[in-house]
Amino acid sequence: MVALLALCALMTIGITVGIIVMLIGESWNFIQSKYVSLSGFLTGTEWTALQSKDIEKAEFGIWPLLSGTLRVTVIAMCIALPCGLITAIFLSEFASSRVRAILKPTLEVIAGIPTVVLGYFAVLVVSPSLQFFSGGGFDTFNATSAGIAVGILCLPMVSSLSEDALHAVPRALREGAYGLGCTPFETAVKVVVPGALSGIISAFLLAFSRAIGETMVVALAAGTRATFTADPREQSQTMTGFIVEMIKSENEYGTVQYFSLYAVAMTLFVITFGMTLVGQLIRRRYQEVYS
Amino acid sequence: MATDINAPVDNSDPPAASGYPGGGYAVSTDNSSRRKLYSRLFYLLCVLISGLSVVVLGVLLVSIGWQGHSRLTWDLLQNSHSELNPESSGMWPSIIGSVFICGICAASALPLGIGTAIFLEEFKPASKPLRMLHSFIQLNISNLAGVPSIVYGLLGLSLFVFMFNVFGRIQVNESSGTELFGVSHYYQVLSLAGGGHTVLIPQEDESQKTIKIDEPTQAVSRDGETFELAIWDPASGQPKPSDPEVRKRTVRKGQGGGAYSETEWYYLRLPFGKSFLAAGLTLSLVILPIVIIASQEALRGVAPSLREASFGLGSTKWQTVRHVSLPAAMPGIMTGAILAMGRAIGEAAPILVVLGAAVAKNSGPQNLMDNVVTMPVLIFNWAGRQQAAYQELAAAAIIVLLAVLLLMNSAAIYLRQKMRVG
Repeated sequence: MVALLALCALMTIGITVGIIVMLIGESWNFIQSKYVSLSGFLTGTEWTALQSKDIEKAEFGIWPLLSGTLRVTVIAMCIALPCGLITAIFLSEFASSRVRAILKPTLEVIAGIPTVVLGYFAVLVVSPSLQFFSGGGFDTFNATSAGIAVGILCLPMVSSLSEDALHAVPRALREGAYGLGCTPFETAVKVVVPGALSGIISAFLLAFSRAIGETMVVALAAGTRATFTADPREQSQTMTGFIVEMIKSENEYGTVQYFSLYAVAMTLFVITFGMTLVGQLIRRRYQEVYS
Repeated sequence: MATDINAPVDNSDPPAASGYPGGGYAVSTDNSSRRKLYSRLFYLLCVLISGLSVVVLGVLLVSIGWQGHSRLTWDLLQNSHSELNPESSGMWPSIIGSVFICGICAASALPLGIGTAIFLEEFKPASKPLRMLHSFIQLNISNLAGVPSIVYGLLGLSLFVFMFNVFGRIQVNESSGTELFGVSHYYQVLSLAGGGHTVLIPQEDESQKTIKIDEPTQAVSRDGETFELAIWDPASGQPKPSDPEVRKRTVRKGQGGGAYSETEWYYLRLPFGKSFLAAGLTLSLVILPIVIIASQEALRGVAPSLREASFGLGSTKWQTVRHVSLPAAMPGIMTGAILAMGRAIGEAAPILVVLGAAVAKNSGPQNLMDNVVTMPVLIFNWAGRQQAAYQELAAAAIIVLLAVLLLMNSAAIYLRQKMRVG
């Protein structure tokens, strides 16, 4: 029986190995193609895998997709990190139990909303309002509306993980700060937050990797043109957005476009896996510092 | 624990800040009023930003309700997607599809996840290398929880849909991989009865896709009974049989027939192809880390004294797990499982990768290898269209999806409450 249970546990390692083998194997097929070079993939600033009718002229440079991903992610983080952290401080330091009883379920509900719904929300509400307030300065599909929706998506995650970290700071530190005459603001910002910094940073990293891997929102709201720019008003296809676009185009198995899917997924996996790993390690290393 | 920490802090909310013991001293310096002002402003900022999430949720629900309420009809629940007629499009096949996929997902992820959690929590090894393996597995699970779901989709595509092409590739009208059971191959041949009536002739060589009937052979009727197929040769000068029953058992000489397969519900082949079985298994990979982590937390919450009492009575490790820890942790595990299933129902990206983006399906799955549509994929398809009618349909479908999620979450909360009472 124990052996069976151990087998279950080893299966999880098998999944990781499976992902890595699959990504490397299929990406290898992509690099082997005569239309593609590794250096062109890593440094190219044009991505026209699906736009070019002629495979000879298709460009496979990852940077437009990376820049699209980064634009969306940075906008999302500009919303999720400060708002999430402040919500966490509010919940753990100030909120009365009655306010908590409203705020906590609200955050849980937001966390449980399917991402395709938030994508629809971005198209239905966020993008038209942006166009309205900017006087038409935004494309219909743009990085900002997708970024805002992804930010909403990440906010509950940041706030609940940060709140856990803030809770772990012992009460004595707060009492010490109050005893020295600190205001609640000073106690929260100068004592409690630094005390929980490792947990907060790990929450930030996890949210960052979640935002990078987010798919349905960007597939609906960020557009299908891969642009290498820093302008958040333009269309910006992300790595995940390209994968969806590619699947929708129903290219046959074995074409270069098909294998490019895996090269993009590999890039995505390396980035998110690295960030999650660092986040986990930070949390593990400093987690029990107070106990 | 939570209230312990909050209690003293609550008392020092800015409105109550005048209660500082050193109030007299603080007032006497210039910077103290500024500090108090900052504190009050910060409190205000906290309230505003926290309120923002409530506002966002409200706007989201209201806008979707506003957009979708007019389409929330029985048509939506009963019909299937229609390209030509958005007015009467519905989501019935997608509801069935989601249910089937979640069933597969639960049946594979829950045993695996709970088993892993039991192993990690209850069977902690003593020796050093095994302990390292243990903590490596733990770290790996946390990492898997952070892998984007679309990457799982690609893994599912390689592992379940193509099976790394080990068993050959499925191609329409050419190859259907390695078929295990639940399928019989026939040629379909038009009989003399007319009106599209056909008879079936068992297929012997699968590589031959068509047949030409020149001599009497064994055939099967649509009802499944075997009979001897007669041949009528127009060139021979014999009159065409007039009895309709005989006509049904007779074909014209030289009549051609194409391949036709009849499948039972348990039809299984390798690789799985774009089937709901593959989609369900892929989805189970996505929620596996969530199930494991939730089950671990539930098992960790079981009081150690219960286990010690069980050991004291002489039970073995496995007996303790089976009869003490697992039942005690069950409500927590089930709560986590339901929340994970909620995640699975709303997940679109991996299913999109595994099954493709097609939504033109007007029934539930006919066999294990059948393609399905799920609710999130349908919503994605509708939301990506320009026509206002589909946009409204998408909003209405979202309302249905959210209602299903609400139902599941209520079940989880109910279980949590019940656990508290117990």
